[in-house]
Amino acid sequence: MNAAGMKTASRGQDLRLSIAANVSRNTLRLRVVSVFLSFIAVALVFAFTTQNFFSFQNIKIIAFNAALLTIVACAEAMVVLTRNLDVSVGSIIGLAGYVAAKFAAAYPASGVLIILVAISIGLAMGLINGLAVAYGRVPSIVATLGTLSIFRGITYIMGHGIEVPSGDLPKWMIKGADATVFGIPFIVLLAVCLVLVLSFLLRNVPLFRRVYAVGSNPAAAIFYGLRANRVVLFAYAICGALVGFAAFLYVSRVGTITVNLGRDWEMTALAAVVLGGVSTTGGSGNLLGVLFGALILSSIDNGLVLARAPEFWRMFIQGTAIVAAIAMDAGIERRIQKMFRHK
Amino acid sequence: VRVAEVDSIRTNANRYRWELILLGLIGLAVLWATRLSPYYLETAQLLNSSRTFVFTGIMALGLMTVILTGEMDLSLPSILAVCTVLLAKASAAAVPLPIAVAGIFAVAICLGALNGFLVAKLRLPALAVTLGTMGAYRGLAFIIGSEVGYTGFDDTYKYLGAKLMGEAEVPFMLPVFCVVVLLFVVVLHFTVFGRRLYAIGNNAPAVSYSGISVVRTKVFAYVLAAMTAALGAWIFIGQYGSARGDNANGVILAVLTSVVLGGVDINGGKGTVFGVVVSILFLWTLRNGMGLANIAGPIQQLIIGALLILSVLVSNFALSIRIRAKQ
Repeated sequence: MNAAGMKTASRGQDLRLSIAANVSRNTLRLRVVSVFLSFIAVALVFAFTTQNFFSFQNIKIIAFNAALLTIVACAEAMVVLTRNLDVSVGSIIGLAGYVAAKFAAAYPASGVLIILVAISIGLAMGLINGLAVAYGRVPSIVATLGTLSIFRGITYIMGHGIEVPSGDLPKWMIKGADATVFGIPFIVLLAVCLVLVLSFLLRNVPLFRRVYAVGSNPAAAIFYGLRANRVVLFAYAICGALVGFAAFLYVSRVGTITVNLGRDWEMTALAAVVLGGVSTTGGSGNLLGVLFGALILSSIDNGLVLARAPEFWRMFIQGTAIVAAIAMDAGIERRIQKMFRHK
Repeated sequence: VRVAEVDSIRTNANRYRWELILLGLIGLAVLWATRLSPYYLETAQLLNSSRTFVFTGIMALGLMTVILTGEMDLSLPSILAVCTVLLAKASAAAVPLPIAVAGIFAVAICLGALNGFLVAKLRLPALAVTLGTMGAYRGLAFIIGSEVGYTGFDDTYKYLGAKLMGEAEVPFMLPVFCVVVLLFVVVLHFTVFGRRLYAIGNNAPAVSYSGISVVRTKVFAYVLAAMTAALGAWIFIGQYGSARGDNANGVILAVLTSVVLGGVDINGGKGTVFGVVVSILFLWTLRNGMGLANIAGPIQQLIIGALLILSVLVSNFALSIRIRAKQ
C-alpha cells in the first residue's frame, strides 16, 4: 500500500511537472506574442498621430531599417543566449564596413569577394572577443567595452579621416541594396530567411543547441561534458561574421562611409534583443521575438521622425524599453521557477 | 575546497603587489613622457593637465563602490549629463548655487536609487539594466537640455571647476579631489558600511544570513556612485564652461579602466582606494604623454581599451599560475 501510495505521489509529481513545463512553454510563447502585440500598438499609435505612417513608401523604409537591425540583433542574440554580452558590434560594423568599402572602391571588379572581406573581418573580430571572454576569462562587458574602442581605433588608423563616397562603390552594390523580389526588398527577405534558418539551427542542430545549454546553466553544461569555452567562442564567431555581413549591407546603403560607421549600434541591437524576449541571463529566448523587437524599434524611430519629435527621444524610449523588458522577463522567469519548485 | 583555496591564495598574496607594479609603470610612463617633451615635467603643465583626470577619477571611486558589491553601473556618465544640463537650467534661471547643487544631488540620488532598486530589490542583471538606464538617462539629459549647448554659466557655478589658486595656479578641484579620496578611504576601509560592501562582494548569501540587508547596502552603494556623478557634473561645468546632453559621453571606458586597472576585482569583494587612485594617476600620465606625442583621440581610446582588457587578462593569468603552483 505504501508503495502504491508512493507511486501515485510520483505520478502526481510527474503530472505537476509536465503541467508546469507546458505552462512555461506557453508563457514563453506568450512573450513573443506580447512583443508582436506591442509592435501593433506602436504602429497604431503612430498611424493615428502622424500622416503617411502606413503609406507604402514608409512601410518600405521601416522594413528596410528593421531588416538590417534584425541581422545585427540576431548576431547579438547568439552571444546573449550564452549569458554574455557584446557591446562592440557597432565598432565591428565600423571596421568591417569601412575596410570592405575601401576594398570595393580600390578593386571594383572583385565581386563577391567584397562580401567575403566584410564577413571575414567580422569573423576575426568576433574570434578576438570570444577568445578574450571564453579563454582569457575576461568578463564579457569588460572585454567588449575594450574592443569597442580598439576596433574603432583601428578603423580610425586605417582611415586617416578619409571618407569613401558611395559613388566609388561598384554599381551592383548600390543597385543590390534597392533590389526587390515581387515588390519586397531583397534585404528584407534576407533578414527573414536568416531568422528562419538560425531558428531552425538553434532548435535542431546540436552544435547550436549547446548555445542554449551553456547559457541556461554553464556549470551543468560543463558537468555534462560540453566544452563551454568552445561554445562561447563559437557564439562570438557567428556574431562577428553576421555583423560583418550586416556591415556589407549597411555600406551599400549609406551615402558616405566614414570611420564613424555604425556608432551606437550596439545599444540599438541590444535593445532589440532584450525587447524580443531574449533573457540577459542567458539560455532563453527566440529569434522571432528579436525580429519583432527590431520592428518595434524601427517603427518608433520612424514614427518619431514623422512626428517631428527630436531625435534624442529615441534614446530615452530605447533605454526605458530595455529596462522594462528586463523587468518583465525576470518576473516571468521567477513565476516559472516557482512552478517547478518541489514542495 | 578549490574556491576556499583560491580565496586563501588571494588574501595571502602580497596585498599591495599590484599597486606597486602600477607605481613602477607610472615611473616608466613619466620617463617616456619626459623623453617626448622637455615641457612635460614643468609644474604648470602638470598642474594644468591634472584637471583632466578629476571628474573621471571621482566617478571611478563611485563606480568602485558599486563594483565591490559585485554589481555594475554603466549609467554614471549619463547621470553626470543630467546634472550638467540641470545646472545649466538653474544658472539660466539665476537660482542661487547652494540650491542648485542641492537640487542636482537630490536628482542624482533618485537616479542612483532607481538603479539600486532595479538591481538589488528586483534582482535584475546589473549590466543590462544599467545599460538601459545609461540610454534612458542620456535621453533624459537631452530632453531636459535639448540639443543646444549652454555656455552662460554664472561665475559662482564655475568656481569649483575653474578656479586657479595662488601664484602657482593650483586648480581648486585638485584639493577637492584629495578630500574626496580621503572620504572614500574612510568610508570604504574604516566604516561598517565599507566592510559590508566587501563582504557582499565576497559572499552575499552569507551576509544576508548574518542579518545584514544586502538590498539596502547595494542601494546605498548605487546612491553613493550617483552622488560622485553629481559632484563630477559640478566640476565639469566649471572645467569646460558648457553643458549639453552629450557631456561625458563615452567616458565610462576611462572610468571602468581606472577601477579595473586599480586592482578592483570585477566580480566584487576585492580592491583598495589606494589602488584605484594609483591607476587614475597612471592613466593621467599616459594620456598626458600621448597628448604631448600628438596621438589622436581615437588611438588614445584604443590604447586605454587594450589596457583594460590586458589588466584583467594579466591578473587572471597570475592567479591561475599561483593556483597551479599551489597544486
